[in-house]
Amino acid sequence: MPYAITKRARVSRRRFLKGITMAGSAIQIGLPPLVSMFNSHGTAYAATAADTAGAPIESRFVFWFNGNGIPERYWIPTETGPEFHFSPCLTPLAPFRNEIHVLSGLDNQAANVSGPGNGHHKAISGVTSCTPFTGHGAGGPSIDQAIAAKIGNQSRFSSLQIGVSQESFGESIQRNMSWAGYDRPLPPQMLPNKLFDYLFGVREEGWVKRKRSILDAVRQDALALQKEVPKDDAARVEEHLSSIRDLERGIEGLPAEYRKVDPPDYDGDMKDWPQIAKLQSDLLAQALVTRQTRVASYMLTKGQGLARFPWLGLTAARHHDYTHADGKAPGSDGVDGQRILRDITKWHADEFAYLLGKLKSTPEGDGSVLDHTCLLYAHEHAEANPHKCSGLAMIVAGGLPRLKRGTHSRVMGTIGDLYLTLADDVMGAGLGRFPTASQKMGEILS
Amino acid sequence: MSKILICLWGALACVMIGAEPVSFTKSVYPVLEEAGCRNCHNADGVASATRLHFPETGAGTPQVAAFGNSLVVLVDAKDPANSLLFRKPTARIPHAGGQRIVPGSPQETALRSWIDQLASLKGDDLAAALRYRDDSGGARPSVTLRRLTNSQYNHTVRDLLGNNGSPANQFPPEDFVNGFKNQFASQSLSPLLEDAYSNAAEKLAKRAFRNGVPATMIACQPSAACRAEFVRSFGQKAFRRPLDPAEVRRYEGVFQQGKDFATGAQLVVEVMLQSPNFLFRLEDTDNPKWRPYAEASRLSYALWDSMPDDVLLAAAGRGELDHPQGVEKVARRMLQDPKAKEALEEFVSQWLRFDRALTATKEQRTFPGFNASAAQATTEEARGFVADLVWNGEDFTQIFTAPYGYVNADLARIYKVDAPATDFARVPFPANSERAGLLGQAMFLAMTAKPDDTSPTARGLFVREQFLCQHVADPPPGVNTNLPPVTEARPVSNRERLAMHTTNKTCAGCHSLVDPIGFGFEKFDAIGQRRDRLKLVFGMIVGESKAPERKVTMEVDLDTTGQVAGLPNSSFSSPKELGAVLAASPQCQECIVKQYFRYVSGRMETAADRPQIHEIFDSFRKSGFRFQELMVATMMEQSRRTEGGQRIAVRNH
Repeated sequence: MPYAITKRARVSRRRFLKGITMAGSAIQIGLPPLVSMFNSHGTAYAATAADTAGAPIESRFVFWFNGNGIPERYWIPTETGPEFHFSPCLTPLAPFRNEIHVLSGLDNQAANVSGPGNGHHKAISGVTSCTPFTGHGAGGPSIDQAIAAKIGNQSRFSSLQIGVSQESFGESIQRNMSWAGYDRPLPPQMLPNKLFDYLFGVREEGWVKRKRSILDAVRQDALALQKEVPKDDAARVEEHLSSIRDLERGIEGLPAEYRKVDPPDYDGDMKDWPQIAKLQSDLLAQALVTRQTRVASYMLTKGQGLARFPWLGLTAARHHDYTHADGKAPGSDGVDGQRILRDITKWHADEFAYLLGKLKSTPEGDGSVLDHTCLLYAHEHAEANPHKCSGLAMIVAGGLPRLKRGTHSRVMGTIGDLYLTLADDVMGAGLGRFPTASQKMGEILS
Repeated sequence: MSKILICLWGALACVMIGAEPVSFTKSVYPVLEEAGCRNCHNADGVASATRLHFPETGAGTPQVAAFGNSLVVLVDAKDPANSLLFRKPTARIPHAGGQRIVPGSPQETALRSWIDQLASLKGDDLAAALRYRDDSGGARPSVTLRRLTNSQYNHTVRDLLGNNGSPANQFPPEDFVNGFKNQFASQSLSPLLEDAYSNAAEKLAKRAFRNGVPATMIACQPSAACRAEFVRSFGQKAFRRPLDPAEVRRYEGVFQQGKDFATGAQLVVEVMLQSPNFLFRLEDTDNPKWRPYAEASRLSYALWDSMPDDVLLAAAGRGELDHPQGVEKVARRMLQDPKAKEALEEFVSQWLRFDRALTATKEQRTFPGFNASAAQATTEEARGFVADLVWNGEDFTQIFTAPYGYVNADLARIYKVDAPATDFARVPFPANSERAGLLGQAMFLAMTAKPDDTSPTARGLFVREQFLCQHVADPPPGVNTNLPPVTEARPVSNRERLAMHTTNKTCAGCHSLVDPIGFGFEKFDAIGQRRDRLKLVFGMIVGESKAPERKVTMEVDLDTTGQVAGLPNSSFSSPKELGAVLAASPQCQECIVKQYFRYVSGRMETAADRPQIHEIFDSFRKSGFRFQELMVATMMEQSRRTEGGQRIAVRNH
């Protein structure tokens, strides 16, 4: 049984689709134990998993983003060190005290460069890529993409982009947390059924062969056209070619067992974000477990997000409205406003805790998937109302050996310092440098 | 006494420094850039009507130096300290942009030394400085490959395969850049989009051949000749140009991979729908064989938002699009096609941001009737209104002055008129409503408001950006944007509340250009209903479930005096009055030209485009502002070429 997931995928598809349409009831996709995939010490894939025999369990990186800022007084723990108390916003993470490291005091330097864009544009470009906003998008690859470029090449997908909240406000910079490079957004897949299809969709007999020859013909067209157009446009054709290569790799990596699943017939309510968040987390966990990717980004809500939170009893306004004392919405500077922001950012932590729980409860080798994963949890701002880009708070989670855990540290340094340390010392990506990083952040290492 | 001494010392220092010429590019230009002058002083900035226009970012040193010399027009040679160039940025005299350079700072010293140097310019140097034109020297960005927009994809597969399923509605959303969703700068190709293209191609090809070979696609009997014929004929439609022999051979090879004739043809269709030759269209090309067809595509995607038809491709093949007169003839024919109406709707819906109108949500306790269908009705009204002005050949500036709306039951409630027997029939606005044109219609008034309240700032911004083509800089980061709350003890209108925007120097620079426009609309609430006084309700706790203990309602007077800073004689106090100001304003009229230019060119205009835009504007004005003439003129101007066949970058008049 080389792919334990296969059996489950066959039965789960209908259950999965049916589950989504049943409003209100949280559907969970049960993950298989997958014990059979590992050797008797549980440290490596068993020799029976043909193509991975003897390979050590790979580390994964998950970049998690929540829109808008935080109410600092309710979010950042008062105490530093291992004895810290969970702040009201972070209480959902209490069960994971030993798997997380709360960081505060980080600076988003790139957001302070003068240039185009409002406080949100600048902050999001900086938080994702540590580069200044270009006027359209981020100025360079986001940290997940920088890492994926180094460690993603052996997987079916070099990275995954997953999103939840589908409100339509904003442009690329608000909608995307992953950037392949200068002004090159990688939109997240926000529909669970489509993500399921992307990961586990099964195809008719002969589909792979057929698709391969089609893409081959498309590539020949692209190569011919590249010669016809000036250099700037050739770059655009090159982008097309590279996307074709990604598609081909996704097809090559399609496990044979997935060929017998029904076509999707999805018609669910796509506004129930807490439920979609959980479905997307389930799929992310499965993508990691089945080794389809090592790098993923997860955008719970959008930058400068206008998500509504009826399940929190907040019906008057949208998230961004609440962060500014505008209109009649209780503003962030008042007591009521801060409480609303507390409830919203606590919900973010709720969903993050769900993913941590999922990864922790899935055995892998001699531990859990969480033990082989590094997660980075970020908001675009510190205090939301003034669009504050200094003194940011983030969470690093997971059980990779180099990570220090179980504490709250007030650090001095840029988010670039943090990202570079995570990429190189924790993930072993060997980036060597990252924008705004001037030193390693030793505080996060064990 | 000591002050005079310092001044003297300063003057001496200037004279001493003066011995060595000041370098504008090295020591003054960076100061002006840091002060952010260009944010307003550019061709599309809020200060575009002034004499100060910064060259585009990335301008070469010679151009920056020439720009520096040209500033002599803002210098008082007899009394340099009295120069506008000195007194405006230091706010010694009123400057809409506030104080950008602090008196007494090293930055001011640098500026002052440059002013002194300009004051001494004479003879040929002075004449050369005055000859500077900000539309010289800039290169036109070459855009040759444009990806089909989602809307163009839908229209193209409809015309190519008869598929009305609008598959691109499932593609990742598109960005608004430069005000539109079709801009070259936003057309990167992500793996998610590639995957969507691939899936759509598979489904479209499958659907086209679901009942075997459709006779509309292949008329001949299966044979090798028929195979080649199909590749050539379908390929010419899909790629919008004849296929090269090598391409035909390659696609015959693809065809032969199919197990029978139908599956072979289906494979060809599936590959072609993913080919860059289909997904991208040539806007221009150096390849003389393809050039006439690129021209056909340019026209058809501009005027039809879809692929060229056989007639248009044939005209291209006969060389009829090689000269502006031919383009004019073809363009006029194309405007008669119903596809032209759809294409124009696409432009209008983006320019006027129907997307924002459709997603505008309102506080249901305050505005119980305003739901999704009401929001939709506001866009239907705007759509019908603009379309009638365009296709009935009326003066297009009436978009600001027309004393009527297109009303259904939802809108009738907002306008306080009787609902017409037919939905969206033309209904005159009540005489005392002070409504006129788009600015008096519900779509603009509702989409630029917050869920429960108006936003003079948003309304002002919309007028600046959409109708005056002026970009207003974003607020700097780290600014507390909280305004003092309106309380029972301090019941005030938005004008008083937003006063902080103009008393705080950081905010005043931009808000004084924006808010006063919005104040003129304050007699129209967040869904566009007329209100003569502002009703404030206190004690209502919004967003929490507990019931209010008591409710107090108060009313305050509204002062709707507004003005458009930078436009002469622009005081107004109602949508109707502002509409009249805009309709008569050359800046606003030219902005309509620019918006259409940006849309069809897929990019922002540059200095090099200015002569062309003036030419189009001229035709538009001479036609009595007939929008169809604007479209034809734009198509003609963009088709002009040099002798060598290149598109003309700068033309001399």
